Amino acid sequence: MTKKNYDREETLKLGFAGNVVEKKVKLADDQAKPWDLDTKFQYAGKHIPRFDGLAKASGRAKYSYDMNFPGMLHARIVRANIPNGKITDIDVSGAEAIPGVKATMLLKKVGDRVRFDGEGVAAVCATNLEIAEDAMRAVVVTYEKMAHAVIVDDASKDGAPIVDKGDTNKSPESVNINPREVSEDEINKRFAAADAKVEATYRTQVQTHSALETHGGVAKWDKDSSGNPTLTVWASTQGSFSVLDGLCGNLKLDRSQVEVICEYMGGGFGAKFGADQPTLVAANLAKKAGAPVKCMLNRKEEHLAGGNRPDSIHHVRAGATDGKIVVFDVTNYGTGGYTGGAGARNIMIYDMGASRKVEYAVKTNCGPATAMRAPGHPQGSFVLEQVVDELAEKLNMDPIEFRLKNDRYPMRKAQYEKAMELIDWSRRNKKGGEGALAGTGPKKRGLGVGASTWGQNGNRDGTAMAVIINADGGVEVRNGCQDIGTGTRTIIGICAAEALGCPLENMKVRLGHTRDPYGPASGGSVTAPTVTAAAKDAGHAAKLAFLDKISKKLSVDAAKLDISLGKVFVKDDPAKSWNWHDACKLLGVETVEVTKERSDNFRANFSGQVGGVQIAEVEVDTETGVVRVIKVVAVHDAGLVIDRLTFESQILGGVIQGMSFALFENRVMDRKSGKMLNNNLESYKIPGSLDMPEIVTVAFDISNGHNSAGVAGLGEPTVIPTAGAIANAIANATGVRVRSLPMTPDKVLAALAAKGGSR
Amino acid sequence: MNRFEYLEVTTLEMAGKLAAEKGAAVRAGGVDVQDLLKEHLIEPASVVSIRNVPNLQEIKAGENISIGPRVTLAQLAADRAVASKARAIAISAGEAASPQIRNQATCAGNLLQRPRCWYFRNEELLCARKGGPECLAHDGENQYHAIFGNKNCAIVHPSNLAPALIAFDATVKTVKVGGARREISVAALFVTPETDIHKEHVLEPGEMMESIEVPAAALAGGAKSAFAVVREKQTYDWPLLCAAVKLTMDGKNIKDARIVLGAVCPVPLRRENAEKLLIGKSLDESAARVAATAAFDGATPLAQNGYKVPMGIAMLMRAILEAGGLS
Amino acid sequence: MTDSPANDEREDLQNAFSRRRFLQTLGAAAAVSAAPAIANANAKTSEAEKITIPPATPLGEVKNFGPGEVDVKLKINGIVRTLRIEPRVTLLDALRDRLDMTGAKKVCDRGGCGACTIIMNGNLMYSCMLLAVECQGAEIETIEGIAPEGEFSTVSSAFAKCDALQCGFCTPGFVMTITHHLRNEKNPTMESVKQSCRGNLCRCGTYNRIFDAALLAATGGAGLPNTTEKK
Repeated sequence: MTKKNYDREETLKLGFAGNVVEKKVKLADDQAKPWDLDTKFQYAGKHIPRFDGLAKASGRAKYSYDMNFPGMLHARIVRANIPNGKITDIDVSGAEAIPGVKATMLLKKVGDRVRFDGEGVAAVCATNLEIAEDAMRAVVVTYEKMAHAVIVDDASKDGAPIVDKGDTNKSPESVNINPREVSEDEINKRFAAADAKVEATYRTQVQTHSALETHGGVAKWDKDSSGNPTLTVWASTQGSFSVLDGLCGNLKLDRSQVEVICEYMGGGFGAKFGADQPTLVAANLAKKAGAPVKCMLNRKEEHLAGGNRPDSIHHVRAGATDGKIVVFDVTNYGTGGYTGGAGARNIMIYDMGASRKVEYAVKTNCGPATAMRAPGHPQGSFVLEQVVDELAEKLNMDPIEFRLKNDRYPMRKAQYEKAMELIDWSRRNKKGGEGALAGTGPKKRGLGVGASTWGQNGNRDGTAMAVIINADGGVEVRNGCQDIGTGTRTIIGICAAEALGCPLENMKVRLGHTRDPYGPASGGSVTAPTVTAAAKDAGHAAKLAFLDKISKKLSVDAAKLDISLGKVFVKDDPAKSWNWHDACKLLGVETVEVTKERSDNFRANFSGQVGGVQIAEVEVDTETGVVRVIKVVAVHDAGLVIDRLTFESQILGGVIQGMSFALFENRVMDRKSGKMLNNNLESYKIPGSLDMPEIVTVAFDISNGHNSAGVAGLGEPTVIPTAGAIANAIANATGVRVRSLPMTPDKVLAALAAKGGSR
Repeated sequence: MNRFEYLEVTTLEMAGKLAAEKGAAVRAGGVDVQDLLKEHLIEPASVVSIRNVPNLQEIKAGENISIGPRVTLAQLAADRAVASKARAIAISAGEAASPQIRNQATCAGNLLQRPRCWYFRNEELLCARKGGPECLAHDGENQYHAIFGNKNCAIVHPSNLAPALIAFDATVKTVKVGGARREISVAALFVTPETDIHKEHVLEPGEMMESIEVPAAALAGGAKSAFAVVREKQTYDWPLLCAAVKLTMDGKNIKDARIVLGAVCPVPLRRENAEKLLIGKSLDESAARVAATAAFDGATPLAQNGYKVPMGIAMLMRAILEAGGLS
Repeated sequence: MTDSPANDEREDLQNAFSRRRFLQTLGAAAAVSAAPAIANANAKTSEAEKITIPPATPLGEVKNFGPGEVDVKLKINGIVRTLRIEPRVTLLDALRDRLDMTGAKKVCDRGGCGACTIIMNGNLMYSCMLLAVECQGAEIETIEGIAPEGEFSTVSSAFAKCDALQCGFCTPGFVMTITHHLRNEKNPTMESVKQSCRGNLCRCGTYNRIFDAALLAATGGAGLPNTTEKK
């Protein structure tokens, strides 16, 4: 990489109406000015249908699960049917004897431990799925069974069965005190002295990602012109390049021999990074059998082994004095399955005075947790938002007024105001369960609020974009990353077109081919801020290269040309212009091909965080305990809005998944057998059409700086506050708190009964 | 699914013969059989379809209503005569599952489907109903299980339709191989675990349902009915509880009543004690509450399903008022 | 409880018991017929006998398919296709794995999510809950059939315009459901649309935009994006 000269200085106008700041940034010579409040956009910020919407809505988009090849075999994985034990024998001979079975492989060997019901032991492939299933069932695995524990309470008891290794299932406690100079004594003193106190236990459940396209892929081996083996894998993934690395490592291949393709993928939510077991099985069995192999998990396997959000138990003490939170003291633990790890995050939003967090994880004989959309945050937020509400209630303060006194971020203040207006916050019952909104009948309504935050993520990270301009006017942008459904393909196209100046309808975007330039894995809400800046930078670079090329044919100095609104024009004589197509024709037999690495982030930004506020209105049937969400207003910022349509869809999805987490989803384990009982989509409950509230999504525009496009990630913050907001709304409707997720009718009735009946 | 031969027949007797003699699984709509096959709860050598047997998919409504065994839940829910004469029956069918399932699932299949208990439905678990020593729900996860009659097995009967049919004194007509026919009241169709823990109904091997009959007497005299259900999700979810209520009114006075609960017991549960508390009374909120409360007398909830009692009382009270036109 | 004798006993029993053999007897208990399980376990002995069925008796004829591969004729989107498959192959697997018609998605495979929704004889169905062999003679319509090649149906276009999709994996199923609803409901409303898609699940959370798309498509598609495929 050549050292660049960053002598150019530009001043950016950042923020939002009423909150504008100016910040200076240093730029390289060939870098366009970052987008800010002064930028006049041609496309960005409009409602633009996603580029691949029609392909998906017509069923023509080919997902990895949809790839079929002549002679392709189907694989199935043999899984442990006990939660804990040692393998004493694996016999695949019965499977291999079945006509149509082409290859088998072991994923474990005799003597290995299995640590959860559903852990992969062996794999088979056959000419069709039916025979593959016969073969899977014909593999005989015997075990020396060991006692197991599948829930936190069982696994953390003295003398509990050991889930995996060592002599305890509990991880060491981590103690985190903030600010550091505060002593434990001080925490205790602050609590003792607080005006308002809350001391309670909260629980959140295990949630499975339940992406509709399951994990897995299709693998196909070929040979290159020199006869060396090459491998192409169509994977359902959030990280095409991490799958590439995983395959290279597993199969001892170099990158030139492997391509991973993921043009469309059916949801991941954090569970699909890296080369997962079914993808590796497909690649290995394809090699062994000498034919392409498809290996996709079924729904049960997806629940058992496809990842999950850990549960959590929080014991909380918190106190507030004079309207300010002075102390937050939490002990938190949960289970991430046999691999452990169960962090919950709950103190990032408000100024907590002093906080102590004691945290540990408990291993259980369950499938391993993986990152799930804002890992740790929805759990922590469910607790934090209720605690904050309870403190406000005890201080006789409006919960939003109380939050504003403990929240320093200006955009969230504006967001609270917007959300309050859109839901008419004045209707809120002044006292839980009592008021015009609650009414006098058995069905009571209430309002509740929650807030969210997320970092300004995304970085250079080696990301680059290729831009190709053809003489027919067509422009293609290529990047190897994937679109997990968030609209990545579309926002890349918009940013590139915006920077290049070409008409949007001429723009095509190819994603998900790892032979194209590197792009990020989609986790931590990094994709949008990484790729939009890259697309802007590359679009600008393509513009310079294009103008350079055609300037010779136009006999105009390239520096005097510019492109805007689909027209090439002379800067000091705008009447002299060529429309895009005519300008492109000048390329003749040539094309313009530019690959540009993304520029670095700037330190200058409006806020180091993004913000969000959600207010929920619920109706609680106090006789049946059934909670219905009536309306949710969700206001979120994530820097510059590139495509308002997909931005709003992201908020919508966050709210709906948050509501699903709040009211329905729950992995149910049978303690005795160690098996998941609701390993389907029948009793693992995901809401449907009739459960939907009215959802008002507000894309809150902020010019944030931070990167050349000023874009931040949005996927994760939108799912964080919903459960807390709904819990607070239930409390406002009924006067009772449900401190355990999901807030199912039985729990609502129990809370009401504890308070003395439903009426 | 295991490998099986697929047979198509043109008579119910032949289907019955294949079922009795070959152990063939019979597909009407095929929903439950498909599910059982996929979970390997059944691994029959033969599957027999009655889709080509003529005249099984008709609803004949006159003074009485006759429902063919292959009438789909969607058909039943959409039938105007059924909706006007026996509202609870139409609603119970329309509230079941999802539109796609209702287009495939048949009335006979709905009555004869196997339980949805998650211990029963998991091929790797051997519960009492599948020949194991004990009901696994008793000390397990029983939030969706029975609160009545749950001593030996805590399944709930999964049919929405059955409580509604029982409220209308419906019967089923059956035919056996050789042509022997019988008529059984729907109320007597189901088997408690105490009678036989391995089956849910009294039909014999090869005995095929020919029709479901709703008698004229039950439809006469302005019978009013309601079907109520409580679910966790409002969309495509099994009931936590459901109830069919039928009232024969004389002005504001209740001449006759039927109260049948679903999803509370291994069989649909008629509550005659509660019915008696309504008969002869003038319908109002307090009468409905008294009866609804009585309907849940004697419940024996398990560790996690006690909520069904207060929830059920509220639901039933509303259903009684709705049936009487007071909601 | 975990270490109780009852538990050990159950495990022993589980081993001793041939589960397959036991459950085989359950087979007859399904659907319309009713062979009680354990109580009638002996009825199974007849399995070995070959039942002879005299032709043209009042019992009627039996058409036999399988258990091995058989020719199955399916009329899909107006075209009859002959497949060589076992009777146990579901309609969904026949479409996806044999005909490369991958618009219908396999998500739950148990009639719980709607991603595999097709229209059969005018009715909305889950293709995972049907055997291909029992769909012979039926008119099957898949998402591949709702618009000619190179074009998009009004419903698909409305979904794209309203962004009624995110990952898109549930989308073909929803499009089939909404297509069916709009064909059969002259005056679609928000409520009727919600009712119509009770049998479809979306995981990304885009329902509200699906409702909007359905109501937009119901207007006949005025203002929809071009319906010609962009190459």
